[in-house]
Amino acid sequence: MPGRFCISLTCAADDPDKATVAFVVANAAVASDKETLVFLSTEGVRLSQLGVADSIHEEGFAPLKQLMTSFVEAGGKIFVCSPCFKKRGLDDTKLVSGATIVGGAKLVEFLGDATPGVSY
Amino acid sequence: MTMDEWDAGDMGCGDLLIELRRRLAALDSGRSFRLVTLDPGAIEDVPAWCRLTGHTLVRADPPTFIIEVR
Repeated sequence: MPGRFCISLTCAADDPDKATVAFVVANAAVASDKETLVFLSTEGVRLSQLGVADSIHEEGFAPLKQLMTSFVEAGGKIFVCSPCFKKRGLDDTKLVSGATIVGGAKLVEFLGDATPGVSY
Repeated sequence: MTMDEWDAGDMGCGDLLIELRRRLAALDSGRSFRLVTLDPGAIEDVPAWCRLTGHTLVRADPPTFIIEVR
């Protein structure tokens, strides 16, 4: 079944429960043959940096790094909000696999007219 | 012919589906696969996943699901 799905994630280590569940749902979407995007904005952009997810392991869930790796290996995309990234002085040479720094137009293009999604 | 099978324990939701997808992708079309999962959400999630992906749910007898590979 074709189609797209978007997960908006606005937290990282500041709310590891939400960050983890977002990628659990992202894995469910990509495993269901949806072209799936995780859009990282505000504090969520910190997950775009190598090593940040390594220490996040919510009880009852797989480690976040493992969830992110599985997602990307299955074809999932990670978009990183450019102004949020710049505001925090993050390093574009330390992006995790599958992450792309984008502006709003790229997100709007992906969403099109009727792409469903959830927010965390 | 022996049936491929996987005991997923209490794995569920995206963790379960991403691994299930990987395992079924390695199998030929028409093969049967036995999944065992104790996750309470799987009762609804596995049938929905089969509808989304085109795999055939031959039997749902939680915690066991028989899936025919698309």
